[in-house]
Amino acid sequence: MMSGKKTGLQPVLTMMLFALSAMIGVVALAYPFFSPAISPSDATIDSFSSATETPLLAVLLICLSLAVLLVELQGQSAGAKTVAALGVLVAVTTTLRFIEVAIPGPGGFSPIFVPIILSGYVFGPRFGFLMGAMTLLISAIITAGVGPWLPYQMFTAGWMGLTSGWLPHLRQARLELGLLLLFGFGWGLLYGAIMNLYSWPYLAGPTNMTWTPGTGLSGAIARYATFYLATSLIWDLAAAVGNMVLLLILGIPTIRALNRFRDRLQFQTIYHANV
Amino acid sequence: MRTYDVRAWVVWLITGALLAIFTRNPFYLVILLTISRIVMAACASPEATKWRLPFWRLAGVILLFSTLFNWLIAHLGQSVILTLPANWPLVGGPLTLEAAAYGFLSGLSLVVLLAIFMTFNAVVPVHQLTRLVPGALHEMGIVMLVAVTYVPETTRQFQRIREAQAIRGHRLRTLRDWRPIVIPLLISGLERAMNLAETMVARGYGSTVQVRLSNKTRLLLVAGSLLFLVGSLRVAWQATDGWVMLFMGAVSIGLVYRFSSRENARTNYRPLTWSWADSIVILFAIGTLVLLIGSVTVIERSVLAYSPYPRLLLPAFEWWVGMSLLGLLMPALLVLVP
Repeated sequence: MMSGKKTGLQPVLTMMLFALSAMIGVVALAYPFFSPAISPSDATIDSFSSATETPLLAVLLICLSLAVLLVELQGQSAGAKTVAALGVLVAVTTTLRFIEVAIPGPGGFSPIFVPIILSGYVFGPRFGFLMGAMTLLISAIITAGVGPWLPYQMFTAGWMGLTSGWLPHLRQARLELGLLLLFGFGWGLLYGAIMNLYSWPYLAGPTNMTWTPGTGLSGAIARYATFYLATSLIWDLAAAVGNMVLLLILGIPTIRALNRFRDRLQFQTIYHANV
Repeated sequence: MRTYDVRAWVVWLITGALLAIFTRNPFYLVILLTISRIVMAACASPEATKWRLPFWRLAGVILLFSTLFNWLIAHLGQSVILTLPANWPLVGGPLTLEAAAYGFLSGLSLVVLLAIFMTFNAVVPVHQLTRLVPGALHEMGIVMLVAVTYVPETTRQFQRIREAQAIRGHRLRTLRDWRPIVIPLLISGLERAMNLAETMVARGYGSTVQVRLSNKTRLLLVAGSLLFLVGSLRVAWQATDGWVMLFMGAVSIGLVYRFSSRENARTNYRPLTWSWADSIVILFAIGTLVLLIGSVTVIERSVLAYSPYPRLLLPAFEWWVGMSLLGLLMPALLVLVP
């Protein structure tokens, strides 16, 4: 493989893209709360347009941000080995989800998140993001679950893998496992909350959030909190605890297996064109 | 059995989804729902025994939940059904018929969206979906193909490992018993990935074209993202220049994709074929979209809109709107033409 010229600019630009993408994601997810915060009385006049524009714009933002990250990260991780390993790991994870579909677990528990977290942890943030996004895409295609929620799922799971690549590698196995357990629990809850924000503008509609004048942002957040408690807290807790249980049982042996392959994956022959 | 090009289906999907999001009028929503179910029944290939979402059960849950939620939370409208003590948090106050209707319609809009996407899932074969991946994301397309190809193989491998462990007296009783199955599955999968990678390299993968962004295109990506971020915030504050920024951001990201796709041009072993039926499907879908969305923005904002507040009245039904929705039925009608 030709070793590309590494300038100092590239890592800086990559970090900027990460930061921008994260911020765009936050803006897209916080959109339902923006309009009540900014103009509490305006929504009554034009509730139709904001009812339809809010979810559309949010989906657009998420899609674009996903497109930016995918093209950036894919460009860095060229090579047949990465492509093959990514494809097969996605297939294994999707199969696990399939088995899970046949035997429904409690609540929002799904076995696909633990492989995403662990491969991000072992192979780094780039691999983690691609793994998260592609796993959700493929399992949606296989289970015929492609829907308007797919960009959100890909974006969120991608960030789950990306951030797990940033985790420090602790030397003590017990501390390492503890850190991963905490991470799995936190992302289990976060994933649920983010996916809720996706359906929130559809189900509740801005009229609900803004009709009463004077409630503004705090009113919108109070309603979201009710929505969250009523629908999703138990579901998400099951997901978070399920992640922890799976990490506890499979975490250390999986890390060991992936570590063994990491060196082989990164092994590449370097040609020197003019030797 | 007539099949359509995946690109025609994407246009159909976008039209249907946009209309489902834009309208809250129950008549139009029911028409869209019926159309999507008819198209699914007519165009889904019978041999596709894919796992499907239990649609009607899911629809029932969504409708019930969104109706109840809005009925309890939104205290608006004039036809009060019952009144809860005002000091109860959030649910306290008058519960109205209008609030329940609004919740039901929001749920119905979501159900229609779900139905349209389910139709798309059912009628488009998996291998055609990979054709939608742009050239700039060529490697992700290969990852997609590898994964889709290896899922059945991994399922068989799972069965084999389970049987092999069962012979040794292994039984799945507790969660801990998954370890001797999942870890061998993972290791054998990765071993196979290494073989696959060597096969790919042996056949020349990556020897001529390497997808790599230059720093100049990366700067364009940063600029596009920045425009997008600022633009979306400006739009939230109801400034019209936000839309211009969003547009410019989208254009610059699109340019990155275009450059990168052109640098990595590839030929296809089996090019997609475009038939006259695809043209008709796409024309009717675009026609419906332009007619309805155009009339919303140009003529009258309330053509598709309907709100039960402040008093529940029967929604208006325009014949021409109902007729133009039928443009989405084209895929099912053309199946009848030999």
